[in-house]
Amino acid sequence: MNTEKHGFKAALFRHETVLLFVVVLEWFYFNSVGPRFGSVDNSFDIMRHSVEIGLLALAMTPIILTGGIDLSVGSLLGLCAILFGKFWRDVGMPIPLAAACTIGVGALAGGLNASLITWLRLPPLIVTLGTFSLFRGLAEAITRGVDTFTNFPASFLFLGQERWLGIPAQAPAFIVVAIGIWLLVHRTTFGRSFRAIGFAPEGTRYAGIPVERRLALVYVLAGMIAAIAAVIYTARLGQAKADAGMGYELFAITAVVLGGTSIFGGVGTVQGTLLGVAAIAILNNGLVHARQPREVAGMLTGVLLILALASSILPKILATWRARRQTSLNKTPVTT
Amino acid sequence: MKKIFSLLAIAGLTLLIGCGKPSENSGGSSAGASSSGGGKKVTIALMPKSKGNAYFISCKKGADKAAAELGVELLFDGPTDPDPAKQNEIVENWITIGVDAIAVACENREGISTALRKAKSKGIKVVTYDADAQPDAREFFVNQATPEGIGFTLMDEAARLCGNEGEFAIITASLTAANMIEWQKHIEARRSSKYPNMKMIALRPCDDLKDKAQSEATALMSANPNLKCIMAICSPAVPGAAEAVKQAGKTGKVKVLGLGLPNENKRYVHEGVTDSVILWNTEDLGYLTIHSANALAKGTLKAGDKSIKAGALGEFQVEGDSILLGKPFIFNKDNIDKFDF
Amino acid sequence: MKRHFRELSVAAALLLVLLALAVLAPAFYQPQPLLSLLTREAPTLVVACGMALVIICRQIDISVGSQFAVCSVAAGLLAANGWPLPLVSLASVVFGLIMGAFNGWLVAGLRLPSIVVTLATMVTWREALRWLRQGQFVNLPDGTQWLGLSQLAGQCMLIVTAVVLLVALALATKHLAAGRFVYAVGTDAEAARLAGIRPQLTTFSVFAFMGALVGLAAMMNVVQSPQVDPKSGSGLELKVIAAAVVGGVAVSGGRGKLWGVFVGLLLLACISPALTHLRIEAYWEKAIQGAIILLAVVADGVRNRKETV
Repeated sequence: MNTEKHGFKAALFRHETVLLFVVVLEWFYFNSVGPRFGSVDNSFDIMRHSVEIGLLALAMTPIILTGGIDLSVGSLLGLCAILFGKFWRDVGMPIPLAAACTIGVGALAGGLNASLITWLRLPPLIVTLGTFSLFRGLAEAITRGVDTFTNFPASFLFLGQERWLGIPAQAPAFIVVAIGIWLLVHRTTFGRSFRAIGFAPEGTRYAGIPVERRLALVYVLAGMIAAIAAVIYTARLGQAKADAGMGYELFAITAVVLGGTSIFGGVGTVQGTLLGVAAIAILNNGLVHARQPREVAGMLTGVLLILALASSILPKILATWRARRQTSLNKTPVTT
Repeated sequence: MKKIFSLLAIAGLTLLIGCGKPSENSGGSSAGASSSGGGKKVTIALMPKSKGNAYFISCKKGADKAAAELGVELLFDGPTDPDPAKQNEIVENWITIGVDAIAVACENREGISTALRKAKSKGIKVVTYDADAQPDAREFFVNQATPEGIGFTLMDEAARLCGNEGEFAIITASLTAANMIEWQKHIEARRSSKYPNMKMIALRPCDDLKDKAQSEATALMSANPNLKCIMAICSPAVPGAAEAVKQAGKTGKVKVLGLGLPNENKRYVHEGVTDSVILWNTEDLGYLTIHSANALAKGTLKAGDKSIKAGALGEFQVEGDSILLGKPFIFNKDNIDKFDF
Repeated sequence: MKRHFRELSVAAALLLVLLALAVLAPAFYQPQPLLSLLTREAPTLVVACGMALVIICRQIDISVGSQFAVCSVAAGLLAANGWPLPLVSLASVVFGLIMGAFNGWLVAGLRLPSIVVTLATMVTWREALRWLRQGQFVNLPDGTQWLGLSQLAGQCMLIVTAVVLLVALALATKHLAAGRFVYAVGTDAEAARLAGIRPQLTTFSVFAFMGALVGLAAMMNVVQSPQVDPKSGSGLELKVIAAAVVGGVAVSGGRGKLWGVFVGLLLLACISPALTHLRIEAYWEKAIQGAIILLAVVADGVRNRKETV
């Protein structure tokens, strides 16, 4: 068991290093083809454009560590965005209160996922597939498809568009959440239990850990983080619409998997996720500087994902081949 | 050990970013260079509502022609997924690159205005085409026809085909598309003022998919036996609705008209399923857009001008801050074969 | 009866909806629109059968929409270039087979998780197609639509093809060893291996077969109209996975009946025309779809809970 752990650890170590290498390579390449790519302005653009997806990826990491998945985060972002707009415009709440209520709604929505998954023991893939449709559908129904919320006060838009103390205003929120999730996953016993649950849910239960409560926590947390992302998204765009965040869940999953977290659960790190987000964000931004069409970004992301997956499996395959060769060698009779 | 390494890596990356080239006032410097008629090539960035849309590809053809004539560098890029923020992100990237002018077909009126205002503040010239942003976010709007003109023409044609009375249904792309919402307003205004005996009984989205438009049209016809006309205001919906009418055997009984591309509809127009396809010359729209953007960047087009000369196409009227391509054009049996886009 | 409880309950739900429509909107029951609806859904049924097999095998394939688009456009281009239609159909199936086999190789051969693999291939193929085609329709030559037959004949042919395929697959999964292997591998791959089944080969075959079915479905869709929209197949994966799940296929693998999938698909396909007939606004569609999926899944969960207690 010890050697296996080393094997896993070694693979992960290698995975993150490779990913870091990829990120640095991307950086240098785009720097060479796009004169303004490396500027502070652009780097802040990269940061600002990836905050929402980064938040969703951070929310997704503990979930995937437990062996689950949440396909509804993108739709939840859309629902929270329009509810935020509604709280502020139609109910008349001041912005901070509206934001707080939105986070509450996010928690409730996450709670819906959590209760179906933990109480009814339903597979997360299917539950969140249903809520993926439901949340988006509710967003469309509430706005009757056409309503959008705009004309937010400038003090609010500051959060998404301006700089605070020299860095983009939404960055502190992202950094706080990132540090929080990192501490949760890597430094608390809660976090250790996530990996245990992903690795062996029954065994963890027998070990006395309240699996259902831990699972409920990660899904509720994801809902709240999606709500925070919704508020930042609205500030950045200056508009809240029902189709906000469409497709974000797949980006988030891509970032998490790129970062070395196994979709089967039990293996993964938060720093890997952050590197994954960075890799995708730099790729998307850099390709515009390199005058390449958007479609190339999509294709390269797909290829990168497959390569990342394959590279994490490669050590295992090599080990299996080596073992098989060894056994066949051992079987060869010694001729006299 | 591994964790320390990873944290160090992230810290190192942040340092790398920090040590990047200092930010230049990119937009300002290039705008300065171009307005002095400098030797640097003018760069114009053109964005469709979304990529993979044949309508915008034909606009691009005209834009390419104009760019070649004027000797400008043309960047063409747009979102490939439906998230509203994507148009903003591309515009912000262009701001950083330092293009001279940006021309956008806006999917979200208010959302894109945020990014366009930023571009304007950096000295980049901004025009919109096909679908407008908020007026303070751009200098000019190259309009193929006013939304009023489009809405009125659609309603007038529908009324003409139905003998000024009867039920009709509208198929749109999505319920959230800003310019379609605007057209619907004008359709309704025209209907209530001039054709009170015509009733709009349903509005269904087709998600910009021909097949879905076909299903919607089939359901509409079966749910409303008195339906006289289907108005398809998104381009894949026109052939989709036409096919539905044809398969239902209601050719001639249910009229089909809409905003679509000639090539996609020639077959149905000749078979008598679709009566009118309303559009404008999309290549000319692209051509005019690039000429306007270029004129703005070079300083030959200013607020208050009454007309603009666009290369081979001649003079175009400027009404306030709208550059008008002209009136909507009606393609029908007699003229549709003359066009190839 | 108890064994089929899940599928029967979905059938009951469908009957309820149909009854409600009969009372509230009898105009729904006209022959031609219904025939059109069934014809439109025939390709989806073919793909849903394939997806059911994939899910029963404890995998998932979210790239079917992109595969569908690629096969449709490829078939359309070949037809437009004068290839004879039987050859075009074969080519479409082969393209699908190749894409499915690629998925299968990554999942079964390299042991990569299917959701991520198919996510990657979905994005890659979709973007590549969009890049190449730029949204342009493919105009098909005369004689392609309905394979040159009359509309009625063509529609019946397509519906019959889908139903025959459904029945054949349902029988195959029940009586053919290869069919049982799929259930076995989905229930417990290790036990299947010990019993002499080769799980990796089974998994690979399921993905390849899925691809072939998508190719067939794409061709079935192409012959329904004189043009090919490169955006066709958009949202297909969600539709068929929902149909499978609502129809009783368990995502945990090893359980599910194809005729349940058929009923599930019919139920979900009714929503949109039902809304039109009942004069309910279009923006409720997604919410209702999500609610149905959740209801079906919750019903599963409640039943499981009752059984384990």
